Amino acid sequence: MGAKKASPDLLNSSFSFKSLKLKTKQQELLLRVSILGLVYVLAFIARLFSVLRYESMIHEFDPYFNYRTTLFLTEKGFYEFWNWFDSESWYPLGRIIGGTLYPGLMVTAALIYWTLRFLRFFVHIREVCVLTAPFFASNTTIVAYFFGKEIWDTGAGLVAAALIAICPGYISRSVAGSYDNEAVAIFALLLTFYLFVKAVKTGSLSWALGSAFGYFYMVSAWGGYVFIINLVPLYVLVLLITGRYSMRLYVAYNCMYILGMLLAMQIRFVGFQHVQSGEHMGAMGVFLLMQVFYFLDWVKYQLNDTKLFQTFLRITVTSAILVGGIALGVGTASGYISPWTGRFYSLLDPTYAKDHIPIIASVSEHQPTAWSSFMFDYHILLFLFPAGLYFCFKRLSDATIFIVMYGLTSLYFAGVMVRLILVATPAVCLISAIAVSATVKNLTSLLRTKQKVPQTGSTKGVGSSKSSSKVTLDQSQPFQKNGAIALLVGVFYLLSRYAIHCTWVTSEAYSSPSIVLAARGAHGNRIIFDDYREAYYWLRQNTPTDAKVMSWWDYGYQITAMGNRTVIVDNNTWNNTHIATVGRAMSSYEDEAYDIMRSLDVNYVLVVFGGVTGYSSDDINKFLWMVRIGGGVYPVIKEPDYLVNGEFRVDKGASPKMLNCLMYKLCYYRFGELVTEYGKPTGYDRARGVEIGNKDIKLEHLEEAYTTSNWIVRIYRVKPPTNRL
Amino acid sequence: MTDHTTLPHRFFLSISLLSILAGSQPDLTKELVSLRSSSESGVIRLNDDTVSKFITSVPYSLIIFFNSADLNSNPLQEFLSEFAFVSASFIANNNRSDVANKLFFCEIDESSDSESFGLFGIQFLPQICLVDPLMENLQDKTGRMEEEDVDGTEESVLEFIESRTNLTVGPLRRPPLLSKTQISVIAALIAISAPFLIKKVLNGETIFNNNRVWLYGVVLVYFFSVSGTMHNIIKGVPMFVRDHQDSNKLVFFYEGANFQLGAEGLSFGLLYNVVGLLLAYVSNALVRVRNVSEQRVVMMLAMVVSLLAVKKVVYLNNWKTGYQIQTYWPSSWH
Repeated sequence: MGAKKASPDLLNSSFSFKSLKLKTKQQELLLRVSILGLVYVLAFIARLFSVLRYESMIHEFDPYFNYRTTLFLTEKGFYEFWNWFDSESWYPLGRIIGGTLYPGLMVTAALIYWTLRFLRFFVHIREVCVLTAPFFASNTTIVAYFFGKEIWDTGAGLVAAALIAICPGYISRSVAGSYDNEAVAIFALLLTFYLFVKAVKTGSLSWALGSAFGYFYMVSAWGGYVFIINLVPLYVLVLLITGRYSMRLYVAYNCMYILGMLLAMQIRFVGFQHVQSGEHMGAMGVFLLMQVFYFLDWVKYQLNDTKLFQTFLRITVTSAILVGGIALGVGTASGYISPWTGRFYSLLDPTYAKDHIPIIASVSEHQPTAWSSFMFDYHILLFLFPAGLYFCFKRLSDATIFIVMYGLTSLYFAGVMVRLILVATPAVCLISAIAVSATVKNLTSLLRTKQKVPQTGSTKGVGSSKSSSKVTLDQSQPFQKNGAIALLVGVFYLLSRYAIHCTWVTSEAYSSPSIVLAARGAHGNRIIFDDYREAYYWLRQNTPTDAKVMSWWDYGYQITAMGNRTVIVDNNTWNNTHIATVGRAMSSYEDEAYDIMRSLDVNYVLVVFGGVTGYSSDDINKFLWMVRIGGGVYPVIKEPDYLVNGEFRVDKGASPKMLNCLMYKLCYYRFGELVTEYGKPTGYDRARGVEIGNKDIKLEHLEEAYTTSNWIVRIYRVKPPTNRL
Repeated sequence: MTDHTTLPHRFFLSISLLSILAGSQPDLTKELVSLRSSSESGVIRLNDDTVSKFITSVPYSLIIFFNSADLNSNPLQEFLSEFAFVSASFIANNNRSDVANKLFFCEIDESSDSESFGLFGIQFLPQICLVDPLMENLQDKTGRMEEEDVDGTEESVLEFIESRTNLTVGPLRRPPLLSKTQISVIAALIAISAPFLIKKVLNGETIFNNNRVWLYGVVLVYFFSVSGTMHNIIKGVPMFVRDHQDSNKLVFFYEGANFQLGAEGLSFGLLYNVVGLLLAYVSNALVRVRNVSEQRVVMMLAMVVSLLAVKKVVYLNNWKTGYQIQTYWPSSWH
């Protein structure tokens, strides 16, 4: 971790490679490459905590779907994958997988896998999936280096690479095992931006082409590409407004936009949105504006008379605005251009989601960010960022304008939604890196010049008249030097705190797979609860292959991926009615629920229960959401029926409907016989800290099939209908 | 939006209309129609005298919004204007008179007509009541909108009407944010100023060409982003709260990681900016200052301030989140 503090300017003077007989430039190159190599390795190994603590496994929920599709891709090939209709989820509806996902991640992992196979490394696809995120995080550091070099200098590039390698804001989504779209998307995002900035700087078609392909990769990987297609035109617009229009900009933007758009249309999930959806219209508007600018430039060149040009200007601008307005109006009115989606709108007007879209407002990732979350994910970068902004403005160029705009827009969005901190992280690291690099450079140059003064003074030696004039300067030197040293020490101290903070956060907060739970025992020893996998493997081994499993949607991806059984609903929440049906079944009485389950051909019901272990994110705590979502579609389910004076209870004071609904019965079946904690009565729920209200639960239409060793997952079999004869 | 300044005006108009109509023809429906047409949104203002006349054995339904201008409550008036939208939409969507004359939107104000409130037995506001031909007892709760449904939105009113009567209101027609004349004036202004603006843009003379403006704007945006202003706006968090035990004591800082108070976030944003900008100033501008003693003083000051700010942030962050950050040393070092 010490690598990041080593700016080449600093080390050049102190290190000596004379024995190797390298020139200064070669020394510098060697240093730079080795620092970058160390940072590359650092970024990779900092993300391996979860593999060391637990084992090489996929984390959480969505990654299991990605893993399952990747497995399918490697086994069946690309065309099968592209046309895949999945009948194992959303029973009986099914899901068209190929047309409803971003394939970038799966294709990337499959390519890595095939490459390794080709090189005769016979690895399992799971290991490739687990390590994809750290691998791409390492690649991101390289891109950050080049980006930093582009906007400032090599020093800033190195610092940026080091900062982003361990920044918690990025690590949160890229630890080993978090095999999700964001893992490759941040790399693609930064790469696209870097190539575009390079294209604007050089005006070269090849860089613009590169950025178009970067954009294509981003579109194929993550829905966050909308950020790029809005930020880039905004940047171009700002350059136009501030009078920085140039031929380079024209080439870069047009090539990137047109090619990027055509390439993006190849992704089925995105389709023709680039020319239809309101979210993409800004880019098209700026594209047209560029043509107007170019045209005006050309006319100005043709007409040498300024007065003639002024008149011409007035006519063209008015007609251009008119035509644009009419086109937009007609497009919107005819429904060809769709209005903005709710999620996009909620970013611009933050109060919109709260009032209009409860399903967005309810997701914890979509909550607005409090300052402590920023502190947690950025730490000292928050102090360095304003300084970086100041330096950027001191040396304004097309590239620094871009990074400032990227930083600010993404930080604003990060304030609206917690999960968007991820998008802002590269910008924050880059701008902070500028601050660190520029500060260190300025201070060290101060130190060096002061060192030279006494030398010159001593060589000039004994000249009496001159030495008297030097006295005042010399007196101030030690102090200035001290001040500079103190500041440098301060900066390095802050950076070392950053390193400590990042390591701690990665290890404690972001490396938990959440599929295997860990707790501290009474003697400080680590206890592992591996109940989820136990349950899924039980399903895989002990149930008929065509069995249908009903559970709350959170576990759908995991059941299909690990249990290999058909589920009713899963984490791709595309059909609210279907989810509401499951919610209704869970919150109804057993006989009513039985009818619903029969109609859905359900064979097994799976519930997650934390009453024995004290695991708090179980189905009982999620139960009110099932009631709300179920009640949203089926008004027979009413939330007040499950509450007592607005309070959610499971003990004796709970509402009768609550005590007899299916979810309660399945979670607490036989629980009344169990002593969970010493000195407490039987049926003491440790997750909620109460003694349960219904200890004598009888099941009529279901029977217990399997309960895992810590009771976290409980599986019930739905009995076939009794013979009516 | 219903314009409240026209209410008294409308009131007098309806009184005068009533006096004419009451004497000549007892056809209540006609009377209501004419009252309705005199109101902009179609909401009829009833008073103590007219209420009893319109609500006894009638062939139509009345939906009555109970209001109180004296209460001076903003949410109530907003709800009334939402109610007026529904009324206007109903009239606009149902052109046929046999449908439109089945339902009339009315309003009774407690400040001037408190007797009617007694007639309906209204105890609290806001309250919406449907009077239909089958209704026998006015104080009967069945005609009321349920308490939890009265949430101030037009959708709730719409749902209530459509579930209780067999009428459909149809799509809600919200009035545009700007009226047509306003839009045309704005468009004209833009059209006139466009050539001048474009000339300025081309010559690079706008305030956007001034670096300082951008710098201030940028720092401001940063300040508001990291201080969690969006969090405060979306969640409607107050700047500070009063202590539960001691009401004279104000609480500015909240203990717990996922929530914050307004002043708390802003003070942190300020601390970040102070340290960052001081760092930039010291390492970029101060080194060029000629006067040595000034340099010394400012540098000392900057270092002390930064140190205090960083210490404060670290201390408060640890207090708020309860995290104890520790280093990991190789296990052989223990």
